[in-house]
Amino acid sequence: MKIEGKYKFLASQEQIWDLFMDQKNLEKAIPGCEKMEEREPGKYDVLLKIGIAAIKGTYTGKVEVVDPEPPNRYRLLGEGSGNPGFVKGEATIEFSQEGQHTIVSYQGDMQVGGLIAGIGQRMIGGIAKMMAGQFFKKMAKELKSQQ
Amino acid sequence: MPEHLKTFEHKKRNWVGKPLKRKEDLRLLTGRGTFMDDIRLPDMKHAATLRSPYPHAWIKGINVSEALNFPGVRGILTGEDVAKMSNPFPVGVPVPPKYYCCAIDKVRFVGEPVAVVVADDRYVAEDALDLITVDYEPLPVVMDIEEAMSPEAPVLHDNIGSNIYSHRFFQYGDMDKAYKEADLVVKGKFHFPKYGSTPIETYGVIASYNPFSEEFVIYNNYQGPFVNHSLVAIALGIPENKMRWIVPTDIGGGFGTKTGLYPSIALIALAAKKTGMTVKWIEDRREHLLASATGTDRVTYMEAAVKKDGTILGLKDKAIDNTGGYIRAPEPGCAYRSTGNHTGGYQIRNLDREVLVVGTNKCLTAPNRGYTCQELYFSLERMIDLVASELGMDTAEIRFKNFIQPDQFPYTTATGGIYDAGDYQKVFQMALDKIDYKKMREEQRKAREQGRLMGIGFSTVVDPSVTNIAYVTLALTPEERAKGHPKSGSGEAVIIKMDPLGKVHVIACTNPQGQGHDTVISQIVADELGVHPDDVTVSNVVDTHDRVYSITTGSYSSRFSSVVTTAVVTAARRLTEKMLKIAAHLLEANVKELEIQEGKICVKGSPDKSMQMRHVAGTAHWNQAALPEGMDAGLYETCLYTMPTSQPPDELDRVNSSNTYGFMAEAIVVEVDPETGEVKILKWASVHDAGTILNPALLEGQVMGSCAHGLGGSLYEEWAYDENGQCITASFQDYLVPTAMEVPKIDIGHVEIPSPITALGSKGAGESSCMSVPACIGNAIADALAPLGVTISELPLSPNKIWHLIQKAKKKR
Repeated sequence: MKIEGKYKFLASQEQIWDLFMDQKNLEKAIPGCEKMEEREPGKYDVLLKIGIAAIKGTYTGKVEVVDPEPPNRYRLLGEGSGNPGFVKGEATIEFSQEGQHTIVSYQGDMQVGGLIAGIGQRMIGGIAKMMAGQFFKKMAKELKSQQ
Repeated sequence: MPEHLKTFEHKKRNWVGKPLKRKEDLRLLTGRGTFMDDIRLPDMKHAATLRSPYPHAWIKGINVSEALNFPGVRGILTGEDVAKMSNPFPVGVPVPPKYYCCAIDKVRFVGEPVAVVVADDRYVAEDALDLITVDYEPLPVVMDIEEAMSPEAPVLHDNIGSNIYSHRFFQYGDMDKAYKEADLVVKGKFHFPKYGSTPIETYGVIASYNPFSEEFVIYNNYQGPFVNHSLVAIALGIPENKMRWIVPTDIGGGFGTKTGLYPSIALIALAAKKTGMTVKWIEDRREHLLASATGTDRVTYMEAAVKKDGTILGLKDKAIDNTGGYIRAPEPGCAYRSTGNHTGGYQIRNLDREVLVVGTNKCLTAPNRGYTCQELYFSLERMIDLVASELGMDTAEIRFKNFIQPDQFPYTTATGGIYDAGDYQKVFQMALDKIDYKKMREEQRKAREQGRLMGIGFSTVVDPSVTNIAYVTLALTPEERAKGHPKSGSGEAVIIKMDPLGKVHVIACTNPQGQGHDTVISQIVADELGVHPDDVTVSNVVDTHDRVYSITTGSYSSRFSSVVTTAVVTAARRLTEKMLKIAAHLLEANVKELEIQEGKICVKGSPDKSMQMRHVAGTAHWNQAALPEGMDAGLYETCLYTMPTSQPPDELDRVNSSNTYGFMAEAIVVEVDPETGEVKILKWASVHDAGTILNPALLEGQVMGSCAHGLGGSLYEEWAYDENGQCITASFQDYLVPTAMEVPKIDIGHVEIPSPITALGSKGAGESSCMSVPACIGNAIADALAPLGVTISELPLSPNKIWHLIQKAKKKR
């Protein structure tokens, strides 16, 4: 399943890159993130609790940042599994400056399995979009609090 | 058919043929039925099954320790236990996959059982599933039937080495000659989807194990055949007489897919044995839609060698069935079950067949109502229309041209089917008249002038019932069969008794699923014994320890109307014969002089010389010394009837794969919305010949249900998977079943051509239109879209699919 979207931040591209590279910010902004530990540089163990309809449940997973090209792009690999099934995906996150703003866009492919696929697959696109929206809003909030 | 097989004279009857209300209704409509979930045993624990979220993966490890410590959990069964405690199920293919009731070291479809938790209640059991961690190593998947045969495809079973479970070639007649004589050859490729039946009651099992007697007692809602009782015994490594199955009075629908219950019976039996508890498991709807059983999806390549006048000289086809992650009995029957009726209602004497049964990472299969006849007829009946279109011939005319003629019955097909009776012209003509065919073609012409997409479709198909288990052995070559033991039969057992006060009790083993068997048995016995249907009680609880049954026992393959009724009549006649002997002895008359009239046995011509039947019954039970010398006391008679037409295949692979052959014609008029692809059914006539009608009200219900089931397969239902092997139709929001809103008015008609080989002349009717409707709707939509150059070769025809076909055709132009 293809996922894509973008969000506009009022800050420079370097500031936004740093914002996204800081684990503490991610931990606060990822919806349902209970725990995020850096195993080794760029590799994290995460524990998510998600309370949305068909994908409700606790997930444990791994997230990895690869091929970083500061401050322009990096790739994100992720996989997680929990009682409702599993999620696996990868995405490219790109940063570009537009005047005073920085546009963060993501484009990726996601695979789901188990209950999530059987019951919720039709809704996953919408849920992914909603969660991405929540994530970016919280990142913007973090940005504000640090400015 | 040899003359000696025409066993029965048919007489006029009082009760059979009347639309008697069902005896079952009062208990069912007032919530007093006994289904699996109504059964509660002392100290019963509850099971929940952990199922694989992966379509293909190694199981590297399972950790159950946290789940075991969860309060209320009584024990957990995993693949490791199953491997130690049981054997793989036997299946009739050259190299069987190791199919256990639970995944051992590898999962091969989403929903495959991985572990079973037994707990004090279902809530605890379900919660404990969350605490089990399974370490999977995902593997590449194969989902497409034809890709599964490619040498590059991921192999599901290393011991087989490929994904091909069964592969055979058959030749009947002389296809080379047919090609030589043909004016043209028409080709087609067809894809029939994977779909099921979704009975309102899901699977259910309650199992317990007695370690002292080493015996299992297992309640379950199995619909038959009981050949699978043997398979479960083999899997559990026990003698059959150490495993008692009890099937409650009521089953909430079976439709063939409940024949796929038996692996779950073994699974829960092992959970009971391991934990030492009585364990209940009721399948939930998601489990059912992920992992119960469906019919096979099939790809068919077909060629017809035809003359210019429309005569079909021969067919060549290659059919590839898909039984999913494993193959389990009665598969590979999917490929062989319709052998006898492979050429449908037509005089086609030459046939070359290639059959393949393959595996993909999909849920497993079982005979789904119609057992692959919908697959067969979708290709055959679409082919007839393609031939008509090539020849510029009318689609009704080409069918009349090729039908078997009424004076040719009994008719032996090229593949060995013995069609007992029929008048296909009459049935089809009635369907044409019901839709006013000529007028419809005229309306279609006008509609086309206005740019509207209106289409008329037919399907005229033979409805086989009462399978002869012999067909399963076609998976072996004649040489391989000669080395083994032949198989044949279609037996069904009935016990009839008259109690000391003169009332009748019939004990049957038909596992009724709502068909009204008790009512029809009462009607039949009332006619035979001259009593009222209310004087007949029918017990239909199956218990393998105290009932007489056959391995073919059960309700599947539309067996009731043909073989069960014949067993009932035969047992009743044996009882009558005994009563006449007793009466003759007491009245000092000759049996030949006696007749039964209104509850009395009288000497013909001397009305004062008679006995009440209940007095005869009383004597048989209470004054046993008065019985004729050498006669057994009491009034009990048993019949285990098998159709004499159930013979093993011959050395040329010909087999009478079923025993009675009804016929039906569907005629459907549709209009397709070119903007949305939506199909509207304007007219629908469904005409059936099921032989003698036993109870018209019940037949009406069967036909309505089978039409709706066929409609589902045509337009809505598909057990769909994404390209990663995930089932995406695991709830009723995605797996679309037609409701009353989607089923249009259906004009049902009947033609009664009695079968000479059943006691009452009846043939099967339980599956019927689900075989003919998908082909008919496919033909109607193809006819509607013909002006656009669209051809129909797959189902279900959702608006989305039709819209895409229309867009593709527009682009081509």
